[in-house]
Amino acid sequence: MPTITIDGRQYEVEEGQNLLASCLSLGLNLPYFCWHPAMGSVGACRQCAIIEYKDSDDAQGKLVMGCMTQVRDGGIYSLDAEPAREFRGAVIEDLMTNHPHDCPVCEEGGECHLQDMTEMSGHTYRRFRGLKRTHRNQYLGPFINHEMNRCIACYRCVRFYRDYAGGDDLEALGRNNQVYFGRQCDGKLESGFSGNLVEVCPTGVFTDQTFSRHFVRKWDLQTAPSVCEHCGVGCNTAPGARMDFSGRDENLRRVVNLYNRDTNGYFICDRGRFGYEYANSDLRIKNVLIARREQVIESTGRRNDKLHREIEPPAALEHLATVITDSQRGRRRLVGIGSPRTSLENNFALRQLVGPGNFFAGLSARDLELLHTLDHIQRDPRISIPTIPEIEDADVILVLDEDIGRTAPRVALALRQAARNNQRDHARQLEIPLWQDACVRQLRGENNPIFVLASSAPASLEDIARAQRLASPAAIVSFAEQLAARISATDQPTTTDGVDSSSTPLPDALEHLLEEVAETLLSARRPLVISGCGSQEPDILAAAGQVAAALADRHGAPCATYLTCPETNSLGLAQFFGPGEGGLEQLLEELRQRDSVDPPVTLLLLENDLYRRLPAADVESLFDRAAEVVLFDSLLQPCSRRADLVFPASATPESQGTLVNSSGMLQRHYMVYEGSGYIQESWRWLVDAVNDPACSDVGMDSPAALLRQWKHCHDVTAAIAAAVSCFRDLPETGPDENFRIEGMKLARQSHRASGRTANRAHWQVAEQAPLTDPDSPFSFTMEGVQYAGATPLQANIWSPGWNSNQAIHKFQQGVGGPRRGREPIPRLRREPTAIPVLLAKQRAGQKPGQFCLVPTWQLFGSGELSNYSDAIAGLADGPCAQLNTADAGALGLEPGGRLQLRMSGAEITLPASVSDRIAPGVIGIPVGLRAAPDLGAMLPAAAEIVRIENPEPVEPGESL
Amino acid sequence: MIASQLRSMWLVFRHLFSRNATVEYPDEKPYLAPRYRGRIVLTRDPDGDERCVACNLCAVACPPDCISLQKTEDEDGRWRPEYFRINFSRCIMCGLCEDACPTYAIQLTPDFEMCEYDRQNMVYEKEDLLISGPGKYHDYSFYRVAGMSISGKDKGEAVNEAEPVDVRSLNL
Repeated sequence: MPTITIDGRQYEVEEGQNLLASCLSLGLNLPYFCWHPAMGSVGACRQCAIIEYKDSDDAQGKLVMGCMTQVRDGGIYSLDAEPAREFRGAVIEDLMTNHPHDCPVCEEGGECHLQDMTEMSGHTYRRFRGLKRTHRNQYLGPFINHEMNRCIACYRCVRFYRDYAGGDDLEALGRNNQVYFGRQCDGKLESGFSGNLVEVCPTGVFTDQTFSRHFVRKWDLQTAPSVCEHCGVGCNTAPGARMDFSGRDENLRRVVNLYNRDTNGYFICDRGRFGYEYANSDLRIKNVLIARREQVIESTGRRNDKLHREIEPPAALEHLATVITDSQRGRRRLVGIGSPRTSLENNFALRQLVGPGNFFAGLSARDLELLHTLDHIQRDPRISIPTIPEIEDADVILVLDEDIGRTAPRVALALRQAARNNQRDHARQLEIPLWQDACVRQLRGENNPIFVLASSAPASLEDIARAQRLASPAAIVSFAEQLAARISATDQPTTTDGVDSSSTPLPDALEHLLEEVAETLLSARRPLVISGCGSQEPDILAAAGQVAAALADRHGAPCATYLTCPETNSLGLAQFFGPGEGGLEQLLEELRQRDSVDPPVTLLLLENDLYRRLPAADVESLFDRAAEVVLFDSLLQPCSRRADLVFPASATPESQGTLVNSSGMLQRHYMVYEGSGYIQESWRWLVDAVNDPACSDVGMDSPAALLRQWKHCHDVTAAIAAAVSCFRDLPETGPDENFRIEGMKLARQSHRASGRTANRAHWQVAEQAPLTDPDSPFSFTMEGVQYAGATPLQANIWSPGWNSNQAIHKFQQGVGGPRRGREPIPRLRREPTAIPVLLAKQRAGQKPGQFCLVPTWQLFGSGELSNYSDAIAGLADGPCAQLNTADAGALGLEPGGRLQLRMSGAEITLPASVSDRIAPGVIGIPVGLRAAPDLGAMLPAAAEIVRIENPEPVEPGESL
Repeated sequence: MIASQLRSMWLVFRHLFSRNATVEYPDEKPYLAPRYRGRIVLTRDPDGDERCVACNLCAVACPPDCISLQKTEDEDGRWRPEYFRINFSRCIMCGLCEDACPTYAIQLTPDFEMCEYDRQNMVYEKEDLLISGPGKYHDYSFYRVAGMSISGKDKGEAVNEAEPVDVRSLNL
């Protein structure tokens, strides 16, 4: 490691690194703007100037830019030398000549990198007397506010948006000091990562519009580490909350990225950033609700719909306790339905209460089959599950029918970085350091090969893919099988057990690709296979597993395989069930075969909208067969209409729990703020019911009695670890409630949180004791440990002089390294089992004339919870049938026409949407929409077009 | 020693004839300068609009944390406090909020006589604090200097601002 001298002190630094990054790693304060840890150096802003001396005799030295200068062993530098300080002061003075007098009305104020750097450089007095240049702002959609006057032209926004995230609708326009960062015309920023501009911009040009609506300064936000609940990637987030107008409740103000190198690094997607508003939705349940006895008139509600009224929790708990007692005496059957969008703790508590035999996953059999297939593949020792940096390191990538940009956006962003690895290799050969961003991007060299096979065109992969082919799922499966066969025995003709390639001929387009993909994958050093549950086709997953296993066999090393799960805890939930059990269909079947002598059934439904899991008729039939439905949920979702008793459950930022992401990583989210009203975690409702006097008959030998021992969340976590072997590392996800640093808890509030004696004063001027938190290592006040890097649990990224999120380097082990004190994330400890040679089942194929209906995903519109966020709800498309242009032409479908489709047992009519973004012979149906939640439950399926409704022809001249 | 005691008695005796430093408050009130640091008011700009832009700087400067407010945005683009609350039963009249205020909205007044039988009445809301004039700074209007456009003041119309750049022109 080279040793350098800075201002007379010697330091050891990382070889090949630039001076700026080295100084920051050493904890020295050096101002900068255009450099970003994830995006490298371009040397544009000239702010990080330091003095470099030739040798110890050199008294003069020369000015160099820290971000553009590689550290030299034995080098002598100075940050404090007067010429360097003067130069940096002059640069910031220039940058500030046009900066408006805006800070009090700027959302960035208080966490502004420009403010910090101005302070650091010592510029206090404006000497420039000329006019300030001004710009007009643009409308950039519902997420981002634009205030161009504040721009200092560091170019970070376009470097992130275009170079890093691959967007093409934000650009640097104009010239010299009038350069303008915006779109060609007003309109929503199209990239799914536009929200990161808020964090990337060093000042307030791009700010969070949703946050601005209920704005507070950063120092007033109460934070704790959390995990994003909007997809299966498990990005770490830092939600911020603050007391609302009433002074009684707290609400969620915003979500920002929380650096965790292995899951999300510096960036998260827009669904994760702007989907938080569901927690403040008007549909939140805050009190216990019970169904009224009155019948609903059918003209105002549907048959069997229930009206609710609020009741006091003790009465509701007593009722629940009675039901539990009855079930212990065999007079009633308790059935628990779990959920993939809530923590392991909630699911486990319900399973413990009702018993494993009465616990169901809350997923359809097909969804569970998908998850079990995925789980099975991940257990194979030949498969390795890559972290985000490992994905960024892959050199050949095969994507099999997974719209990764919409189902796991953060992974798609990592793929985009992987596409540039050839360029990086070239740079290494030429001995250009990789942080020299502009130079590395100049290098010629093809993108790394990324092959994409999909039934509908995935988001934002086309421009980096070497080949993107649209084909039906069946064709993709047989492509992958033939590919696996070719990889495992390149010199043999392609036959493996049971699959005869001649029986499933490939379309020409795929046939030609097969050879190329096989060869490229075999020559790869770090191949990566990507697939997932998005196609809802277990065969696709199985085929992807075969390809990966074949590659691993040939290479003699595990093959990196990323398989996406649909929801935040899908994989965790699936661990509670063996293959073939736990599906909702099985429950429905059991209830249908019930005798009249069997005890009546009480359904305990945990944070799950069943209308997204099964066709609506089946869900109704399920509810019809239950004597009573008890719902635990955070939102009044469609199932609450059928519930007899509704308990208010906490949203993810209001609760502590553990989630298992698609990679099998166990991650804990902590309570950021207390939910209002009677909101608490679902498992606490169950524990309260078991502790109710009406439940005193539950014997100590009954499994449900275990719930009585649980007081804190960590107790549940430990119980899961003891009960289910694959979760045995669960307690390592975080410390228990007794954790202290120097005798202190961790403070959720910053050290300068304001308004403590005023925000409740209008209804009670006498101050109450602050809320205590016996359940976690955090305090709800500003009292406790605050300082940077003390523990990875610190979510308020702040350090003296560094108010913006750029302070993150004070929390890392070297720039871009893991958080200080961060242990490797524990993972599921599953028994290794080999993938059976052929998992793929050939399902009943489609007949001639039939179309294959496949699910298609939306970044904004397919997420259950994010659909309740105002900003995102407005962006979701309606239900439609996406059809290939050639098919539409052959059918005689005109623009604006509608299609009536018949599947086995169901008919749907949808407006048609014609494009080339869908494979021929395939009809794409957007799934997960709030308007039509159960469409996804019927897919994939073969369907025939019953009728085409073309719009009435318009008479010429009528439009005048 | 006896001399010292006699001197003290003489000094005390002499004070019988000096002027009182104290006054018979509240029958008689002392003169307080207009810049005396008593309780705060919220002022208006010369156009009669609220000066407070809800920047939160007063709240964070406040040593006993007795100011609380929430930003909201008007249809005309101005920021203003949805509520602005100060708990005078906690206020120590230090004046740091006035120092921190970037828009001259918060100004201290010579009023310090806030006695209540019920402490709850010491909690003042924005409506209680707003006065109808500009206070000590007659001409200052934050939005005339700030770069943000509001209705009635477009980009480029603030003090010391150039015309907005037309990105589509050559800008030579």
